[in-house]
Parts: sequence; C-alpha cells; structure tokens
Amino acid sequence: MATQEVQTTRFGATGTSIPQRMRKQDSLATRMYRYRFAYLMLIPTFTLLLIFNYYPAFMGLYRSFFEWDIGLPPKFVGLGNFVELFTEDKVFQKSLGNVTILTIWRVLSGVTIPFMVAEMIFNLRNQTSQYTYRVLMILPTVVPGIVGLLLWQFIYDGTHGLLNALLAGIGLESWQQPWLGNPRTALYAVTFMGFPWVSGVTVLIYLAGLQGISRDVIDSTKVDGCSALRRIWSIDVPLIMGQIKLITVLAIIGGLQGWVGIFVMTAGGPGTASMVPGLWMYNNAFLWNKMGYASSIGMFLFVLIMGITFFNMKFVKSEI
Amino acid sequence: MTYAKIDQQPVVISRQGLGYSLSRLWQTGDWSRYLLLSTIVFLMFLPFLIMFVISFKSMPQFNRNPFLPTFPFYPENYTDAWRIVSKYIFNSIIVSGSSVIFTVALAALAAWSFARYPFPGREFFFYMVIALLMIPGELTLIPSFLLVKALGLLNTHLVLILPYIAGGQVFAIFIMRSFFQSMPEEMFEAARMDGANELQTFLRIGLPLSQSILGVVAVMHILSTWNDLIWPIVTLSSQNLMTLTIGLYAFRTAWYSIWGPLMAGYVLASIPLVILFAFTSKLFVEGLSSGAIKM
Repeated sequence: MATQEVQTTRFGATGTSIPQRMRKQDSLATRMYRYRFAYLMLIPTFTLLLIFNYYPAFMGLYRSFFEWDIGLPPKFVGLGNFVELFTEDKVFQKSLGNVTILTIWRVLSGVTIPFMVAEMIFNLRNQTSQYTYRVLMILPTVVPGIVGLLLWQFIYDGTHGLLNALLAGIGLESWQQPWLGNPRTALYAVTFMGFPWVSGVTVLIYLAGLQGISRDVIDSTKVDGCSALRRIWSIDVPLIMGQIKLITVLAIIGGLQGWVGIFVMTAGGPGTASMVPGLWMYNNAFLWNKMGYASSIGMFLFVLIMGITFFNMKFVKSEI
Repeated sequence: MTYAKIDQQPVVISRQGLGYSLSRLWQTGDWSRYLLLSTIVFLMFLPFLIMFVISFKSMPQFNRNPFLPTFPFYPENYTDAWRIVSKYIFNSIIVSGSSVIFTVALAALAAWSFARYPFPGREFFFYMVIALLMIPGELTLIPSFLLVKALGLLNTHLVLILPYIAGGQVFAIFIMRSFFQSMPEEMFEAARMDGANELQTFLRIGLPLSQSILGVVAVMHILSTWNDLIWPIVTLSSQNLMTLTIGLYAFRTAWYSIWGPLMAGYVLASIPLVILFAFTSKLFVEGLSSGAIKM
C-alpha cells in the first residue's frame, strides 16, 4: 500500500521529469485503481454538482421548448415560445431596448471612471496613501448590496428624497418628481444610480494591471519629459489593454444579467417602463407560473451570454 | 492569474519635516490627486453617511431637518430595528457560515485531487466543473426552484445551504487548483518518505500552507451568499427563516417612510461584514481582484 502510493505521486501530478513510457504501459484500469482516492475526493463535489447544477441547467434548456404552466402537464411546442417572445410579446421587446441602454451605460462608466481613479491612486507618491485609498475603494463592496439599493431608492424618493432636496437647494423645484415613480424617468434613474460610479473591484483590477508595467518604462518617460496624459495614453492604456477588454466583457455580461437592482428599485415599473429580460422571466415564472415560457427567456439570455463569452475567447482573449 | 500584491514596493518612510512634505505635495502635483480622490471617496460614502445620520433621528427631527445631524441623538431607532433585524442577521450567519465551511472543505478536496493526481479523465472532469462558470443564473433559476420544491426543501435553511455549497465550489475549485499546482512536489515527496499517507500530506502540509487562499475563497463565498437576494426570495416565505437581504426588503416594505428605524436597520445589517472586513481586508483585496478572472 505504502510503496504503491509513493509510486503514484512520483510519477504523477505536476512533475515534469516523469518518464512517459512507464505510465503508458499501465492499463487504464490499473491507473484508475491506482488513483482511486483521487476519485473519492471528487465524489462529494460531483454529487452536489449533479443535483444542483447540471440537472437544473439541462432542464432549463429542455423546458424552454415546452408550454408548461404549473399544475398542467408540459406540452412540447418546439420553438413556439421563442416565436411568441419575438413576435407577440411587446413587453419583452421593450425590455431588450431597456437592457441595451443599461448595458451601454454600464460599459461606458465601468471602463472609464475606475480607470481614472486607478491612475490617480497609482500616481500617488506615498505608498501608505495608495494602500489607504485602495481599501477605501473596496469598503462599499462590503456593505450588503441591498442596503445600497434601498439607500438609492431613498435618494430618489419623491417626498423625502435627497435628490429632490438638493434640487430645491439650488432652486430647481420645478424638476422635483418621484424619480422612480415617473414612467419617463424610472429607467434613467435606475441606470444612473450609484453615482459616482466607481466600482472598487474594477479599480483593483486596473491597479493590478498598472503595477505590472515595468518601473523602467515609466521612469524613462519621465526622463524623456513626457507629460502625464501622454504617458497614460501611449504607455498605460496599451499595456493594460487586457484589463480593459476583460472589464468591458464583464460589464456587458453583468449588464445583461443585472436585473436584481431593478427588481428592488422599481420591480420593472411603473407599468413596464423599466422592465428588463431577467425580470420579465422572473415575473412569468413566479407571478404567473408560466414556467416553460420563462425558461425560454432564460435560454435566450444563456445563448446571448454564451455567444459573448465565445466571441471574447476567440477574438479578444488576453493574457491575464 | 494575477493577484494584487499589496506590499509590492517597500514603504518609504519620510524623514523630512512637515514643511518639506507640503512643498513636495505641491510640486509633484499630488495635491490635485488627493483632492479629487477625496472628493470621489466622499461621494461614494455619502449615501452611507446619510444613512448613519438619519438612523439617529426621531420622526419630528427628520421632518424638521432630514439630512444634517440633529441633537439629541435618538438611539431608540436601533432598539426598534434590532428587534426586527437581529433574527435576519442570525439566519444569514447560519446560512453563510455553514455553507462556507462545507464549500471550502469540499472544494479543497476536489481541487487537491485535480491539482496533484494525474488520474485518467482529470482534464474532462475539470472542464466539466469550469463549464459551469459560463452558465448564468437565469437559466437555472426556474429548474432549481422546481427541483427543491420536488425535494420538499422549500422553507428550510437547507434550501439555501445546499445549492450555495454546490454552486460555490465551482469558483473555489478554479482558484484553489492553480494555487495547489504551484506547490513544489518535493515537499510532499519528502513527507511520503517520512511515512505520511496521501491524506496526511494533504491535511498536514497542503492545507496549512494554503491558509491564505482558503481565506480568500471563504471571504468571497461569504460575500456572495450574504448578498444573494433572488434565491431566498423564491424559496423562503416564513419570516423566521428569512436571511438578511430579503428580511431588509420585507422590512422596507412594512416600515416604508419611517426612515429612522429603517436606516438603523440598514446600519445594523452592514455591521457583520464590515467587522469581517476589518480583520481580513487583505484577503478581500486579493479575492476581489482575483474574482474578476472568472472567465
């Protein structure tokens, strides 16, 4: 037993000097038997994954082709759900427009503003203050997201809200309104919440990239008398292009998936003014029990996100 | 994979006087950066500041002067809020606490297996796990709900804990595996020479050396389960089982426009993770910068 296991790992794992031919000689069954404990270690993980991840994922794909209201037997309708989504469901089509607006803003603000903040922190001479600002950027991440959302709901509140109080303070009483209750402003209120739009996580990713730039390069720009803006544009931006791409892709995916905020702030309302696809799926499934139809929205989001992920891996993959 | 190295460069301790540092601050242009950064930090924290201020106001105080501090403080808001929020906090601690223990344990086992043993099918199984990172929650939400309903788990804490363990493992395995792979094999070989078996090399050598990565994974898992809203909303309906996020959501609906206790509740809800952050800020910084490498 003991000697056998010594062997396993001598020939195993990450070692590079393993004589390949010796391993090839063993039959598959022998090797599987030799590493039986490795499989044992995977059993609990895969048991849980099978039940709670693989099975639901498969069912989600499968049921999107069914008309299935809770309590009734599922009825296969082929692509019927998708046809209905794109031809008849006006709310869904509107939600696609809404989510596009949300995502565009998320990408714009998510890529640029944290970059500026990261540059400012990176260029501080004092290491201690660099560290302090980094921690301060992360601190809001720790506050439960729901608290942040509910606070923004309060800021937009029609009677007691901070935004209306500020408008009154600068003499713009006529602009006051219930920002989330007005169909014309609700979507934009939800889109632009979170001012000043600094995501601490993104700042950290940028900073990690900036710190990867060789000190020599930065020093030589100083010797050559290059201005800070010029350095940022010609040195920093190209060198952290990997991070920029990553954050862009993450922002697109986050934007398409991000419906929890809207669920809390407006629940898609008033009416369907701020509806997004994820929330429309939730409503169909859990308010109206149309499980099959809702699954097809889930399927649509999955295909969309999958497509973006593959596009990313194929065309913009970066060395991170 | 890159982690943010916090102390990459040695800290230079300035031995010059205050006048010198001030003039240097001016010459280097750092003052403008400090000014801008401080403004941004102030704006980022403004909602939380206001939350804190309002949480100490009684109703009449709020109506007179909603946003600036008023005296005397009105701490009774906190007693009111605590009566409601405390059980939600307690529930969240149970759910996040028990799921984080099992997640880290199971993921460490699996990651160890993936990292150190070239068993047949290793690549296949690993990609099976990683593929799950690409599946959005929207696809699985409805089938998962129907599954736990069929299993009779609705309205128990297990309905949160089990899927959290299952789902949390995926990212944890991904992170831990690359860490375990970077450990030198010689170390474990030496242990085997001394008579340690496979389990002992893992428990006595592998795990103690990976404390930091286990910490990062644990902190990330707590953060994501603590913040989850949709899954508890669809699976829990009993007030006594609600976790913090949906508890606050229900609290907001019930106490709408009674801002003092509401804000006090938000403050109380934020405290547990802020305490955790105070002790593990380094793990947070590392984890959050690695968290984005998900893809």
